[in-house]
Order: sequence, then structure tokens, then C-alpha cells
Amino acid sequence: MTLVLRRNDYTLSDEQGQLVDMLRSLFTEQSTIDVVRAAEPLGFDQNLWSTVQDNGLLTISIPESVGGDGGGLVELVLAGIEIGRTAAPVPLIDHVVTMRLLSALKGTGVSIDALDWKAALAGDLIVSLAPISTWELGSQLVPSGAVAKAVVAFKDGAIILMTRETPAAQAQNEGCAPVAWWSPNDEDVLTTTLLEGHEAVDIWELAHREWRIATAASLVGLMAISSEIARGYALDRKAFGVTIAKFQAISHQLADIHMDVVTARNMTIKAAWLTENEPDFRPELAAMAMAHATRAALRSTAKAVHVHGGMGITNEADISLFYRKVSSWSLVGGGIRRDLDDISTAIDHRAQELVVTALTSSNR
Amino acid sequence: MDFSQVELTSDQLVFEKEIRELISQNWTPNLAHIAVDHDRMPKSVRMEMSRRGWIHPELAVEAGGAGLGEIELEMITNLFDEYYIPANVSSSLLIPTLEKFGSQWLKDNVLPGIRSGELTTCLGYSEPDNGSDMAAATTRAVQDGDTWVINGQKMWTTWGNESDYVFLLTRTGAVEEKHRTLTMFLVPMNTPGVEATPVWILGGGRTNVTFYTDVVISDNYRIGPVNDGWSVMSEPLATEHGAGVVTEGVSPVNGSMGAGFSRVFQKLVDGAIQWAASRTMPDGRSRLEDPLVRAALAEAMLDLEMCWNAEGELGKPMSAEALAKHADKLADMAAPEGLLDFGVDGSIAAGIIASERQHAPGTAVYGGTTEIYRNNLARRLGLPRPY
Repeated sequence: MTLVLRRNDYTLSDEQGQLVDMLRSLFTEQSTIDVVRAAEPLGFDQNLWSTVQDNGLLTISIPESVGGDGGGLVELVLAGIEIGRTAAPVPLIDHVVTMRLLSALKGTGVSIDALDWKAALAGDLIVSLAPISTWELGSQLVPSGAVAKAVVAFKDGAIILMTRETPAAQAQNEGCAPVAWWSPNDEDVLTTTLLEGHEAVDIWELAHREWRIATAASLVGLMAISSEIARGYALDRKAFGVTIAKFQAISHQLADIHMDVVTARNMTIKAAWLTENEPDFRPELAAMAMAHATRAALRSTAKAVHVHGGMGITNEADISLFYRKVSSWSLVGGGIRRDLDDISTAIDHRAQELVVTALTSSNR
Repeated sequence: MDFSQVELTSDQLVFEKEIRELISQNWTPNLAHIAVDHDRMPKSVRMEMSRRGWIHPELAVEAGGAGLGEIELEMITNLFDEYYIPANVSSSLLIPTLEKFGSQWLKDNVLPGIRSGELTTCLGYSEPDNGSDMAAATTRAVQDGDTWVINGQKMWTTWGNESDYVFLLTRTGAVEEKHRTLTMFLVPMNTPGVEATPVWILGGGRTNVTFYTDVVISDNYRIGPVNDGWSVMSEPLATEHGAGVVTEGVSPVNGSMGAGFSRVFQKLVDGAIQWAASRTMPDGRSRLEDPLVRAALAEAMLDLEMCWNAEGELGKPMSAEALAKHADKLADMAAPEGLLDFGVDGSIAAGIIASERQHAPGTAVYGGTTEIYRNNLARRLGLPRPY
């Protein structure tokens, strides 16, 4: 038996730090709370999307071989966090993850003729992904499906591409996310099978993991800004003659939110790095990042609302907007139950690793 | 950013082999009594470790260490954990403080032994009437020429019964002056008037009440200026809490206690998996296929991964609370056998689930309650002191 040690380095490179600074500045200036509110109920702002396009953000994480800039999942995660911090009403994550999947297919020689590649690469044609690959209802609730004209899904062992002339109608939701039902059986939808077999399964699973990780990153951003807003309110608001941040009942909730933010961020970054560099190592990390980010974002933003007292539940309060966004951005992927189902595959792996030794006194 | 596996060098592989041999020749774990947080490794193991400079392996050879790097340090930690060795003989919390504030006499006569691990230390902070509020300490030190006379009582002096020295927090002025009249000493535990009385805790571990009755020590044992003990104590306390943990190496990021609790948590999860693997459902299928069992285990594994990603001061409260939560849940999942101690007919994986349910509550208390950690976190977030 030999020890196995791994590095635990979460620090950003100088280049990654510069990317974050650029993104922070761009989204803070361009995706103000007024822009986000004005973009509702659809949850999409064409001007901001154009800014994203003009700044080359759609190709950062696309391979150079298909016209991208060669960055990876980690860069997409850093972008996802910044998008979350302003609840930016742009489908960058869904679009880029889907383009990465399509790029992988192109790399294996699959023809994507059903899609105007140049328009998709530029973002003039928005694409998205249907993260749930079971089809009990016959159709899928697709994130960004109300702004996309093309959706990639996994059905009956194959990766399929669904296209429409116009995006599907939005399914109303509390976070005003551009989600919509898509079905290959819809008469407005043209469906093309892109790839079948084991290779299709592998490519799809990797893309699904990437979607979970990048979406988790956006949730990290949502809860990070919620944490800062709640902190600011707690420092400002006075009750019983003192700032409410002096009450442990408040400050401990803020500490709990902070713990959730940090762990969700770290799990997401770690999952991204390992998925990119060692995709066969602990594949459950993507589901773990998503599950933790989901539960952490749900409870953290709920606590952040609570810290605001009655003000927190008003529609005018910024914090209530971030609270609404969390469920729409996270649960569209199928929720923690599905994540746990995938995490549970690690149980079987661990059971095989564990040697039942003399430590077990039971022979029953 | 880097999470890659460390390729151990041939020297490191030899090092691992040597540690395994040392352990197997000197140590047999008593699985009926696993109290890794409150026991100490036997002296035979300690002296062998000390001889090799492995008690503080990060120190230079001439300073009593082995001049080893972070990887070797982490190897030792992991191997001690694998063999259930109570490893708390390290004085790494105190060495920098002694180097900075200790008298020349202490540096010449005591520090070398502490560095090598031949001499051991324990912490004397809490008192019967003040635990978390350490600035309310009342154990009094009164100067008498070149000596000090100490009277008082300390609580939770873990290893106080088997340590050579106690890092003692004393009052040298008015209690009302709080942190401004505290002074630190390194008191030899064999000084007349020092007495350690056992306090047995959940999980079978021992800590102590220590009594100091007319204890006379030389001024040489004072650490730092009179009435500036708060400054002296703050650094080791912050280190114990996991503050400033670097995130660029192979060591876990989640502080000294957080990492230890997470390793225990891993054993708990492994024990629960072993239970499921060895049990069948009425239809003959393995309990590993039971959806309720899978849900409980998956959630535990998720929280375990969360703990490994809880950095610095977050490590202790998050690991302790996750450990306690899942010790309960997994004991229930594996009921009724989950309640059985090691060695009892039908018990699970060294009774790990039962013993961890006993162990877990303490992890959220000792070294500072999770509430104190939240206070500290709140301060770091720029929030004011509690009302």
C-alpha cells in the first residue's frame, strides 16, 4: 500500500486574476441591477449579450481548432462566478457549454451541418443544452431555451440537435430565467441525430458535468453577492440602539453564508480543474459541486433575505431578486436529488476499494 | 491552481516504508479505545520518532527536526491516521512563540527538547468559570523577587497528566483589566503544587482539571512581557484555529483540526459503506442497492468533500458539525448495529459509527466552540464585536 497525496492549490494564476478583474469590471458596469430588472420577465438583455459578444467572451473557452481562443473549463467557471455576481441576464454558460460539446463532436468528425457554426460561434445564434437526459414527460425544460434556436440533448443513447426558426415560448418561473419546454416531437422542431453509441455517452456525460460545474459557478456568484448585500444591510440597519450586525443571531448567519460561499467556490474550482485535467478521476465531483452550490445558494440567499427582516421580502429589495434567481438557475438541472443519484456511484467505487479487514468484527 | 497527484520520489517511498516499519514494530492500535484527539502516542514510538527528528520534521536537523518538506510532513500525518496513532505530541503551535518571546534560559534549556519532541507540552487556557472568555482568567501569578507563585485551576488540560510543560495563561493584575493584565508562563508539570485530575469524556478520552497550589517557578519560565500575555497567546491560538492556512501545497487547506476531523469523517463513511456491503435486504440484494442507504451515504460523501474544501478557520466548525450530523444519521441508517461498540457481536467496522457518535460532539467544542469560530469569522467579515 502506498500513500496517495494530491495538491490543494486553489490560487488563480496572474492571467486568471486579470480575467476575473476584467469580467468583474465589465459585468459590474454593464449588468447593473436596473439592467437585470429591465430584462425581466424574459431574463435576457440583447445589449448586454452584444457586449459579451464584442468582448470575445463566447470564445474564451472554445478550442482553437474550431475557431475559439483555447481556454478551458476553469476560465468558464471564473466567468460563471462573475455572471452570478450581477445575475447577468445572458445565456453565456449554457451557450458556451453547448458549444464546447459541439466542438468535441466536431473534433471526432461529426458533421454539425444542421447548425450555422459561424453564427453560433459568434453568438448571433444562441444554443443551449437540455441537462436532463431522462424523458418521462416527453419534453425537457431547457435553460436558455426561450432565447436559443438550437438545443443539444441526449435521448435514447444518442446526442441529438434540435433546431427551431424561433425560440420556444418561455415557461414562466420565479427567477425570470429564459427557460422553455423543448421536445423533438414538436412540429416546429427539426431534430438531427449527431452521435450514437459509447462515444456519444462519454461526450454527453462530460458536457453534462461541465454544465453542472459552470452552473454551480454562477450560483457561487449569486450567493457571494447576496452575502455582501446582507453584510452591508446588517452593518447599516439599527435596532435596539445598535447595528444589527452586533447580534450573534445575525452575525452567525452571515458567517454561515460565508462558509457556504467559500466551500461552494472551492468545490467548483476543484471540480473544474480535475474535470479538465483528469476527467477520469472522481467523476462525481461535478455532481458534488452542483449539489453543494445548489443547496448552499438556496439556503444562503434565504438567510440573506431573512437578515433583511421585512425589507427582504419586498420586490424592491435587491436581495429578493437574487433569492428568486437561485432556484431558476439551479433547479432547472434536475435538483439535488439527481446530483445525489450520480454521487452515489462513488459509493460502489469506494466499496470496491475498501478491504474488509480485521477492523470488521462482524461475520453476520 | 493545481490538484494533481504528487509523484512521490524514491526517497519519499523509502521514507514511507521506514515509517510503516517503525509503526508496526512499536504500535498496535487498541480498536476498543480509539480516542485519537485525547490520547498520546506511546513513549516508545515518540522516542523513535524523536530520534529521527520526525516529531517536528519541518524543522532543520540542527534544530531537532529532520529538515523535511511539506510532502513528508503530510505523509507522516496520513500514516499516523491510518494506524490510529494518537499523534498529538507536536508542539508546533508553541515553538514559534517560544522562539519569539521565550527567555534566553528557556531557549537554551527547554526549547531544544521541545523541538526534538523529547519534551512535550499542553495548553492551560480555560478555567472552571471561563472557557471561551479567556480574558477573564483568574489563575493568579504573583511575583516574588526572581520567582513567581501561581495559584489557580485550569480546565480541559488535555495531556496534562503526561506532559512535561504547560503553556499557562495567568492573571498578573486586576481581573477587571481583562486582556491587559495577563502573563504567559511555561510551567514544568513536575513542579510541586501542580496536580492533574482526570475528566473522562464521551468517546472514552481523558482530559484533566489541573490545580496549581502555591506553585513556585523561576522568572526564567515567563514567556513575553508581564501583562502582555494576550499578545503572546494570540499567535498559537490563531494557528490552532486554522488561520492563515496556505492553499498552495499538498497539506489540506482546512486547518489543523478541520483536517483531522475530516479524516475521521472519512473513516465513518467507510465504516457505513462496509456495513452496507455486508448486509442484504429481504429480497437478497445488497444494502448497497437500497435507495435510502444510497441517499444517506451520498449525502455524507458530499459533506465530506465539502469539509475538504473548507479552508482555514472554516475547517474546524464545518468539519465538526458535518461529522456530528452524519454520525447521527449513519448510526440510524445502520441501526440497530450502529449502536454497538467495537468487539461486540454484530458491531460494524471497529465500532466506528458508535464511537464517532461519542466523539463528534466534542469536536465542536474543544479548541474553541463553533460559536467562537463564527465570532472570529464575523470579525474577519468586518462585523463588529458581538453585543
